[in-house]
Amino acid sequence: MRNTTTRPLMRQSHLPLILLGATMVGYGLLTALVGGWLSNQAMSGLITAGAYRSRLGAFEQTAGLVVALLFFVLFVLCAVYASGVARVAFAIGALASAAPVLVGRAERLLFQVIGLPTMSAGSVLAGAVTTLIFTLPMIILFILLACGRRVPRACRWLSLASIFVVLGTAFFPIYVTVLAFLLKPGDPAVGRMIQVSSQVIKLRFILPGLSLLLLALFSLRSTRQQAPDASADVAAVTLTASEEGESR
Amino acid sequence: MNHPTERTRMRQLVALLLLVMMLVSCGEPASGPTPPPAAGAVPEDSFGALDLVTTVHYDPPIEMSSVAAVDATIKFLDGNDIHNNVWTRAYEQLLGIKLTYQWVVDGSMYGQKLGLSVNSGDIPDMFGVSAAQLHLFHEAGLLADLTSVYETLASAKTRDVLTQDPVSLKAATIDGKLYGIPLTDAAVASAPLLWIRQDWMDQLGIDPPTTMADALEISRRFTEEDPDGNGVADTIGLCATKSLWGAIAGLQGFFNGYHAYPNIWYERDGKLVYGSVQPEMRSALEALQKMYAQGQLDPEFGVKDINQVTETIAQGKCGMEFGVWWNPYHPLNQSQANYPQAFWSAFPIPSVDGVPAKSQYGSAIGAFLVVRQGYEHPEALIHMVNFWSDNILGSEDDPLRNTFLGSIETPDVVLYKYTPVVLWEPNAIINDGNKLRDALASKDPSGLNLDAQWRYRIIQAYFEQGILEAWVEVATNGPNGATTILEEIAADRGQLNRFYGVPTPAMAEKMPTLDPMQDEVITKIIMGDPLDAFDQFVENWYNLGGTEIVEEVNLWAERNQ
Repeated sequence: MRNTTTRPLMRQSHLPLILLGATMVGYGLLTALVGGWLSNQAMSGLITAGAYRSRLGAFEQTAGLVVALLFFVLFVLCAVYASGVARVAFAIGALASAAPVLVGRAERLLFQVIGLPTMSAGSVLAGAVTTLIFTLPMIILFILLACGRRVPRACRWLSLASIFVVLGTAFFPIYVTVLAFLLKPGDPAVGRMIQVSSQVIKLRFILPGLSLLLLALFSLRSTRQQAPDASADVAAVTLTASEEGESR
Repeated sequence: MNHPTERTRMRQLVALLLLVMMLVSCGEPASGPTPPPAAGAVPEDSFGALDLVTTVHYDPPIEMSSVAAVDATIKFLDGNDIHNNVWTRAYEQLLGIKLTYQWVVDGSMYGQKLGLSVNSGDIPDMFGVSAAQLHLFHEAGLLADLTSVYETLASAKTRDVLTQDPVSLKAATIDGKLYGIPLTDAAVASAPLLWIRQDWMDQLGIDPPTTMADALEISRRFTEEDPDGNGVADTIGLCATKSLWGAIAGLQGFFNGYHAYPNIWYERDGKLVYGSVQPEMRSALEALQKMYAQGQLDPEFGVKDINQVTETIAQGKCGMEFGVWWNPYHPLNQSQANYPQAFWSAFPIPSVDGVPAKSQYGSAIGAFLVVRQGYEHPEALIHMVNFWSDNILGSEDDPLRNTFLGSIETPDVVLYKYTPVVLWEPNAIINDGNKLRDALASKDPSGLNLDAQWRYRIIQAYFEQGILEAWVEVATNGPNGATTILEEIAADRGQLNRFYGVPTPAMAEKMPTLDPMQDEVITKIIMGDPLDAFDQFVENWYNLGGTEIVEEVNLWAERNQ
């Protein structure tokens, strides 16, 4: 019989994780609201496409920079407050902070500064790169949490589900764009997918943020359930190796 | 306790997979070659399921011979050809008109072949002709008078389509009688707009132009202030081609800003005048000369054709051009392909003074459908035109459009190419654009046909997903797009070419000399020749036959307007 102990994601306080999730959800909501408001105005003809682009660009560049800094600080704090595999996960997750900065700047960076070929799909490529920069660290974060033996069981399942959520929200819009502009232009079915995609893209930050918030919640619950004496810094629960499955 | 080993588990798994694969393969339909369709098999037409409007059904069916021009790219569905297709079947089954083709040639050979047929006396019952052929065949007494059949049988939609362009029926009328049905198209589509790199304007904090002075200032700043931010003075304000005029980077829009209308005839003091020799040309030329001297025009514009100008645009070196509404599809899309942030916006032609500038355009009538003199059923043509107008034009019924125009499943099969009776609504671009913009504003595309729905989705992808490659639809059909300006032009900001007849004798003889002379003088003045050269050109133009042409054109106008 082998004993494995689980412990909450954060050692002292879950506040950094809660703030990180809330910031991510807030940024997602804010970009969805501002983007939606501007696009409504532009599609109604109240502002020109040029005005739409310059206003959205100004918002993305300012908000992106602020949020990227917040993300980075909060990820680092999470890493500091965590231990073991969770610490590694949040340290890697900090790389995702670069994504909001790149929104609105990726085209210039990739094609003018670095000089990559646009292949007539510059904005799609730039969007894909920005998405990857956010998605990849987040997926690794969730994979590590899903695999961590000492991570509470509920957090592990949630992390596993979050991997697919992040993948879906990140790559479905790219998939639809490739279909719409390269593979099946004019296909009515793809037209309907564009409509879905324009909603999914708004969830790109909201759903991972919600996952982080739920992770914090589950982690807190496991702390309270497993260590009724709140003085304990780390809740420890003994589980039998057979309960965890022989595959370990 | 006996636990299965890893190896045993793997064997079980593989066995399970094999079982699943076998079951799946059993479920597949029997393989083997699909029997080919029977020779001559023709797909079933589902006319009965469509909500079609017809204005006649001949019983017994009548015969109508015609001739056809097809291009090499035309494709047919299996079992179909030019003699047996959805249109020939529709005419026969729905109207009772059995349409046959005496001969079918490539479009480039059509005029020559038709001339041979007519000369040999083998004249089809109904056929297409050019404006010159219309007059030629009329003078030879070969064409039927369609005035009464049009007046009595044309449907409301047909009349609407044929009167949207104010000159279309006039162009088919000779001595007060209608001898042809004009194949209409969007005349206003040839009107120039001012296209400007919006991203450069944003970069430099420039407001949209309202006057020609604004446009010139934008051109100067695009040339001098490095709008592409590469640190090199490699940008030019305005693109132009060596041919001076045209749908892409033509200069007629620039002249229009000075109330000058080169190459067209318009009314002044009750007479038709030729725009190229009017005094307004001089001030426009003076402005272009200054722009060239200051490097705002490409120093090599005098030798650059459209392809080379397209290259300049693709390289992101050009910030403005005067072109038609569809320029974002080509060549402006090239710049966005290389520079994702590139975005061109359309603006109405700015004016040099307080009087709004007018964009010049000509009638889009290039051909007419005529009926042979002596054919027993001249009215059949009107019924065929009605069938097209009432069912196809303005229809949002996708099954009907798929049946008669083509469907998304077979995008390279364009069904309307199989019939000679094809008219487009002159105002279709404007009307379709308005419908699309209404749908965008209400976020409800349900009332749009499939084509328009797709445009809606593309514009949605631009605004809601940031897909910048979708800018072409935004710039043309989107809110504040180019087609909104076309509406203004069609209303009261357009200058229509008032001469739509066949070339007068003097015109046919002298214009081949006068046109190159005009273009040469204009090019040289832009490149630095004294402006007095224009005055000399005007004098020469009148002396070398212009006076005679003006007289003939005004005589024609008295007879036809």
